[in-house]
Amino acid sequence: MATVSDLNISEVKLSEEYVGKWGMFINQDVCTGCQACVAACSMENNIPFVGDEDSGYGRTMNWIRIERFWEGEYPEVKMTQNQPMMCQQCGHAPCEPVCPAFATVHSQTQQLNLQVYNRCVGTRYCANGCPYQVRSFNWRDYKRPEPLPNQFNPDVTVRRRGVMEKCTFCIQRIHQAEDKARSEGREVADGEFTTACAQVCPADAITFGRVDNPESLVSQLTKEYQGVRHLEELGTLPNISYFKGA
Amino acid sequence: MSKNFSRRDFLKLAGVGTTATAVLTGCGPASRYVKREPYMQMPEYTYNGQSTYYATTCRECAAGCGLVVRTMQGRALKVEGNANHPLNLGKTCARGQATLHGLYNPNRVRGPIKHSRGERLYASDVDPFNGEFPDVAANLNWDDATQVVADALTKYKPNEIAFLMGTASDHLFDFVTDLAAATGLNAPVRFGALSMFEARATLSKASENLFGEASLPFFDLGGAEVVFSFGANFLETWLSPLAYTRGFVGLREGKTKLRGYLVQFEARMSQTGGKADEWIPIQPGTEALVALALGRLAFERRGGALPRAFADVDPKEAAEKAGVEFETLERLAFMFADKAGSLAIPGGAALGQSNGLEVAEAVLALNAIPDNFGKRGGVSLSALAPTQTEYHRPASPKEMEEFTAKLASGEIKALFIHGVNPLFELPKALDFQNALSKVEQVISFATFPDETAVAADYIFPDHHGLESWGYQRVFTGSALPILSGAQPVVSPFYDTRATVDVFLAAAQLAGGNFASATPFKDEVEFLQSKIAPLMNETGGHFSAVDAPTFDASFQQYGGWWKTEGAFGAPNTADVLNRDLSGAESQFVGEGEFYLVPFVSPTLAEAGANKPWLQELADPTTTVMWSTWVEINPHTAEELQIDNEDVVKIISEFGAVEVAVYKYPAIRPDTIAIPFGNGHSAYGRYAEGRGANPADLFSAEYNQAGDILFGGLKVKIEKTGKKLAIPRLESMMGVYHEGMGEE
Repeated sequence: MATVSDLNISEVKLSEEYVGKWGMFINQDVCTGCQACVAACSMENNIPFVGDEDSGYGRTMNWIRIERFWEGEYPEVKMTQNQPMMCQQCGHAPCEPVCPAFATVHSQTQQLNLQVYNRCVGTRYCANGCPYQVRSFNWRDYKRPEPLPNQFNPDVTVRRRGVMEKCTFCIQRIHQAEDKARSEGREVADGEFTTACAQVCPADAITFGRVDNPESLVSQLTKEYQGVRHLEELGTLPNISYFKGA
Repeated sequence: MSKNFSRRDFLKLAGVGTTATAVLTGCGPASRYVKREPYMQMPEYTYNGQSTYYATTCRECAAGCGLVVRTMQGRALKVEGNANHPLNLGKTCARGQATLHGLYNPNRVRGPIKHSRGERLYASDVDPFNGEFPDVAANLNWDDATQVVADALTKYKPNEIAFLMGTASDHLFDFVTDLAAATGLNAPVRFGALSMFEARATLSKASENLFGEASLPFFDLGGAEVVFSFGANFLETWLSPLAYTRGFVGLREGKTKLRGYLVQFEARMSQTGGKADEWIPIQPGTEALVALALGRLAFERRGGALPRAFADVDPKEAAEKAGVEFETLERLAFMFADKAGSLAIPGGAALGQSNGLEVAEAVLALNAIPDNFGKRGGVSLSALAPTQTEYHRPASPKEMEEFTAKLASGEIKALFIHGVNPLFELPKALDFQNALSKVEQVISFATFPDETAVAADYIFPDHHGLESWGYQRVFTGSALPILSGAQPVVSPFYDTRATVDVFLAAAQLAGGNFASATPFKDEVEFLQSKIAPLMNETGGHFSAVDAPTFDASFQQYGGWWKTEGAFGAPNTADVLNRDLSGAESQFVGEGEFYLVPFVSPTLAEAGANKPWLQELADPTTTVMWSTWVEINPHTAEELQIDNEDVVKIISEFGAVEVAVYKYPAIRPDTIAIPFGNGHSAYGRYAEGRGANPADLFSAEYNQAGDILFGGLKVKIEKTGKKLAIPRLESMMGVYHEGMGEE
C-alpha cells in the first residue's frame, strides 16, 4: 500500500523554482465585473447555455466566472474586488492524478492541464479535486436550436453530455499562433495572439502570455504588481497571478 | 494607405476590399453581399479553413463601437472589437459579444408578414429550452410589401404619416429625415429606454443652463484623481460604457500619480458603486443638497468669497437630511478641495427625480471648484461626429408623451416603427398600447418579433445589424469625431430587406415628390452620397483619390475619423454666479419604500432575447434569467420575507410581482428592480420571464422632461408565493435542498 512518503511530495518543486509556459496576470483593481470575458469565452469555446432551471441547480457551464464577495454589513458594507476565476492551469494539478481515464492530463510541451473529452467518462473526481471549483460538468445535451449552431467555432469541439469541461487557455489559438510562427520559421511573438477573455476585456484586466519569458508583458506585470497566486499553499503551482488592489 | 500589402495579405486582412470592388463592377445589389456556404465555387477571397474578417459597427446600443467579425465560409463565428476604432480600441462589452445570438436567434422574423394586430407569431406555451417552435412563415412577398408602404405614403396626407425610430442606426434616421424634409412628412422621432434611464434630456438641459449650450457633457475619468459620482452607472450601460471603463482604468492606474479615488453617492450600490472606494448611501432626493453642501465645504476649505451657487446651503443640515455623518461629508469635501484633479459626475436615478435638473446642475457646478472645465480630467462637451452640426438627443419621455397623444388623437394615420420597442421600453403609464390602436396602419420593421411588432399590421423585417449597411455617429466617449461604418459581414440569413431599400422602392412606386426626393439606386448608393463629403475633409485617418477607393476604405477600416480632435470647452462664465436649489425631491406615491429602477448591466434594453446574456450572472447579485427586487436583509427580516419570496410591488400607477433577493448594499428604506426582462413577446428566451419595473412609473416628469423613474415611493405586499431565482453565488440551497436552509 502506498504511503504518503511514496508520493514523493518532497519532490514537488516550490513555486519559486517552477516555471510554467503560458500564464496570466489579472488586475482585479480595474476589473469591473462586466461579464464581457464570460460572454467572449462562451462564444469562442462553443459553451452551451443551460437555461433557468439548470442554472438554479448550479449547472451553468462557465469556464470563467467573476466572483465577488461581501464584507461587513450595511452601511459599512463593501463589495470585494471582482475576481475572474478560471482554470489556473496548475503545474502540479490536483485534478490530474485522480482521473481514472487519463482524461485530465498534463501537457508537457504546453504546460497546460488538458481535458480530453473522448476519454472522459464523467466520474467528476477532478471537479472534486479542484480547489478553485473551475470545472463544469456537462449534465445534458443542451439544446441550441437552429440556426444558433451557425455560430459554432470550427476550431473547438462541441461537447456532449457526460463530460467534464474547463478553460483551455484557448488552446486552439495557441496552436494556430504556433503553427503560423513555425511555418514562418520564427518564435511566437509576445502579444501576437491572446485568449478570448483577455482580448475582449474592456479594462485590460487580463493579460495572457509566456510566463517563462521574463520580457513578456505578463511576466513584467506580474513582477511590477507583485502578483499573488491563489491557494498557493496547497502546492498546486498555479499559472495565474492576481493583483487584488485596494 | 502608404503601407504595402502583398496580395495574400490584402485578401486575408481586407476581404471587404474585394466585395467593394464588386460594387465598382456594377453588379446588382445581391453581389455586394458575401455568400453563405455551401459554396459550389469558392469566391477568391475565401480559403478553406481560413477566416475572413470584416469591420462593422455594433448595434446592441447606440454608442457606435467598432467591431471586427470573424467569418468562415459565410458564417459569423466571433465578434471582436475593432482595434483601430478610436472609441473602443479593440474591446467590446458582453452585449457586443452576444450580438451573434441575435443574428442566429431562433426567433427572428423571417420575411414580410401581414397579420391581425396582437396575433401571436409563435406558440407561447412551449418550453423555451426543449420545445419545438414552428417557423414563423412569411405570408407576403417583398413586392407586395413595397406596395403596402407605397400605398401608405400616397393614401394619407404627409402630416398624417409618422416615423418612430430607435437610437441606432443613424443612416436610416438621416434617410428618413431627408425624405420627411423633402415631402412634408412628420420628422422622425427617436427613443430608447437607455436614453430614458440615462436621463439624456436632463443632462443636456443642465448643460444648456450652465454652459449655454445644449450638449452632452463628457467626463474625463482617465485624467482625474478624485471622482464623485452621484449615481452615474458609467461602468454598466451609461452613455458609452467602454469609453468610460477605459477612463476608469486610467483613474485607477494613473502611472505618474497616486491611484485615483472613486466615491459613489447612491441609495443602492450599483456595479459602479461596487468598484468605488467609498459608497455613501444618501437618502434619495437629497443629492442636490449634498452636492451643494460639498461645494460649500470645499469652497470654505480653499478660502475666498463664497459664490452665489453654494451660499444658501447649510452643510450640517444637509448631512442630517441625507443621513450622512457630517464628519464624512466634511472629509470628502476637503478631499475634493485639496486634490487638483477632482471631478463630479451626475447620473442615474438621481436625475429621474422631480428635482433631477437641480441635481444635475448642482453636481456639474461642483466641477467649478477644481475648475476642470474643458481640461484633462474634467468636464467637457462631447465632440460632434463628422457630418453633424449640432448635438441631437433622442426624444425625452415627455416628448414621447406628446407623440403618444398625437397618435391617440387619430391625427396620425400611418406609423412606421423601426429599431425601438415602445410597448416594452416606454412606461405603461403613457399607454402607448391605446395610442397604437388609434392608428389606422402600423408598419413595423422589427428584426425580432417584439411586443410592438406583434401589435402592428405588418412586419417588414430589416436585416440584423451584422447583415446591414449603415453608419453610426459616435455621440460621446472620444475626442475624435467618428463616423462608424457598418457593412454586412454575412449575407442575410432570412428573407429580410433593408428598410432604406424598402422605402427607396416604395418611393418610386409612390412617384411625385417621393420619387424625386430619393434619387438612389439602393441603400449603398445612399450611403455613398452621405459619406462622399468626408473625402474632401482634411485630417481623416485615411485618404483616397477617388470615391470608390474612399468607400472601400471606409468599409475596410470600419468608418472614418479624424486623427486629431478635442472635446468642446464649456462656457463657464455663469456656472457659480447663479442660484442653485438644494430643495429635496418630491416623491410620487404613498408607499414606504423608495424605488430605484436600474438598467440590467448585462441585458440593457434589448438583450433579453439573447440566451447567453440571460445566463450571464448579474455583476452585483449574480442572478440569471430573472427579474428580482433587492431588499436590505434587515428590512426583509422585519417584513418577515426571505429570498425567493414573491412580493407585489405597488406604485400609484401599477404593480409588478417579483422574487426577493436580499441585497446587503442597499438602504433599508429603498428597494431596487432591474430593467431588462418582463417581455410578453420578443422570442422564446425573453417571453414570460420576470417583470418590467417601468410598469410602475407614473407619467410625471422633471423640468427637463425626463420621467420620474427615480422619484417613486412604493408599497410591498406579500403574496405567499415562492419563485426560485437562479444565481451563480451559493448555488446550493437555491431550491432549498441538499445543504439545508441558509
